[in-house]
This record gives sequence, structure tokens and C-alpha cells, in this order.
Amino acid sequence: MSGHVAELLALAAAGALDPSEAARVEAHLRECAACAAEAAEWRRLAEGLERMPPLRPSHALVARTVEAVEERLAERSERAWNRAALGFAVAFAWTMAVVSWLLLDLLTGELALRLDRPVGPTAAWYAAYVIAGWLTAGAAAVLLGRRTQEEGRIA
Amino acid sequence: MDPDRDDAARLRRGDTAGLAELMDRHQDRLFRYLLRLLGDEAVAEDAFQQTWLQVAERIGRYDRSRPFAPWLFAVARNLALDHLRRRRPESLDEHPEPEAPVTPEADPFARAVARQQGARLADAVAGLQPLDREVLSLRFEEDLALPQLAETLGVPIPTAKARLYRALARLRERLLARAPAEAWR
Repeated sequence: MSGHVAELLALAAAGALDPSEAARVEAHLRECAACAAEAAEWRRLAEGLERMPPLRPSHALVARTVEAVEERLAERSERAWNRAALGFAVAFAWTMAVVSWLLLDLLTGELALRLDRPVGPTAAWYAAYVIAGWLTAGAAAVLLGRRTQEEGRIA
Repeated sequence: MDPDRDDAARLRRGDTAGLAELMDRHQDRLFRYLLRLLGDEAVAEDAFQQTWLQVAERIGRYDRSRPFAPWLFAVARNLALDHLRRRRPESLDEHPEPEAPVTPEADPFARAVARQQGARLADAVAGLQPLDREVLSLRFEEDLALPQLAETLGVPIPTAKARLYRALARLRERLLARAPAEAWR
């Protein structure tokens, strides 16, 4: 018996032939006793495999898995919230920095002249304020970037 | 409407009830598949848990226009194959004999088969290569038709057919080598 015929008989027993191939095999088996005997052996093997006992995961495994997934989902939710909060902090810090420059310009310009206020101390305070704002924004951006990188590595 | 897709959408929103429904429908098949492929109960349990964790993490990448089960099995398969490659870096199916054959005593799948169908068939199945056990499990236990089998394996249909035949032939060869007559009855 050729390897090709053996393959067809095995696949027929496994129900893995298309209808035309299966019909050809059936027709051949009606005429060839040797192949019919061979086919019967393949069918017995397939039936043995089909009777494999149904195995199930234990209740303990399923419970452990549900618990682990719920924890993971909670972590994911917390990470998303933290990311949003950090993003807001970055945006806020940058906005404040930009607004501060405008205020500084206003206060050290015409408004300061109109109010007849000394420009020196006001400018120094606002310069410090702006620098602090920019540093905060930069630190927040660095933190956000590192966290995103870390999450990328975990995922 | 496909309940899997609805539950996947719920899980995507962080609703664990969606996960519970998905697990309820797929956990038995998934566990059986992993046990057959990995051949070790403890490792299969770990892979089972890791699979669902990855499903929860990556549910956003699931394409809702496609059925859920093949995606789930693809996640599980990648995890299992990674484990097998770490354990034995060479090809998973090139060698006719495993370095450390899984014995019926060590493999719960083999034990169960031995109880119900005879020790020789169990021994022969357990000694097959992981990819041979996988294709037999998908066809005969999960009752996947050839197109779904090929999709799960990520190969064309003719390749799936060839793998199925090769696994059957190797199983038969093992049985005949041990007991030429009445081997699997």
C-alpha cells in the first residue's frame, strides 16, 4: 500500500477529507479488502482518540484565575487613572508656565508703570515662579515618560 | 448575536462579569488543549492562568468582527509554545523521540486514557511530540473541522492535513512497535 493511500485512509478515519475525496476512498474500499482492513484499523484508532475522557480545570484553579484577573484589571484601571492624573498635571503646569509669562510681561510692562509699583521685586518673584512651573512640568513629563516605558516593558 | 463578542466588549470596559461568562464557556476546552500540548498538569495550570491574564490585558487588541475562540486559543498556543521552547529549545516536532518521554504516570491525560481505554494507547499518545498531541487533541477532542483546525494552528489547510496524518501515523507506529496486534483495542 502506498503512503498516499495510507494517508487518505487515516484522514478518512479522522473525518478530514473533503466530500469528493471521501467518496473516492469509500468506492475504493468496496473493492479492495486489504485497504478496507487497513481503514478499519485507522477507524479504531480514531474512535479511541474520540473517547478520551473530558478533563476539566479544578474549581480551585478557576477561582485562582478569576482572582488574579480581577487584580490585574484593578491594576489596569488604577494605572489608567494615574496616567490621566499625571497627564492633567503636566498640562496644568505647562499652561501655568505660559500664563505666567504673559502675566509677568503685563506686570512688568504698562500695568506696572500705571500702578507705579517697583518692577524689580515683582519680576524676580515671577521669574522664580515661572522657573518653578517649568521645572514641575519637566519633572512631570519625565515621570510620565518613565511610567509609560515601564508599562510598555510589562505589557 | 455572538455572546462571546458581547462579553469581550464588557471585559474591554473592565467588567469582570464578561470575563466570567467567557471563562464559563471556554475554560474546559482551553484547559484540555493546554494539558495535551504541554503534557504536564502544573505547567498547564500555570499556562491556563497566564492565558486569561493576557486575555484581560490584551482584550483591546481582539478584533470583534472575528470569533473569539480562535483568538483565545492563539494566545494560549503562543504561551505554551514559548514555554516548550524554553524547556527544549530545539524544534518541537523534528525528533521522533522526546528526550524525556512523558510517562502515563506523570501525565494526567495519559492516566485518564489508560484507565478508560488501555495503557498502551495512553502511553503511545503521551510519548508523542507536543505538536502531534496538539493536533490530535484539536481534531478528536475539540472536534474542530479542518478549516478551524488550520486557523488555530496558524497554517494552511494542506499543512494542517499533513500534520494530522503525521500525528496519526506516529501514534500508530508507536502502538505497532509495542504490540503489533490489537494494539489500541
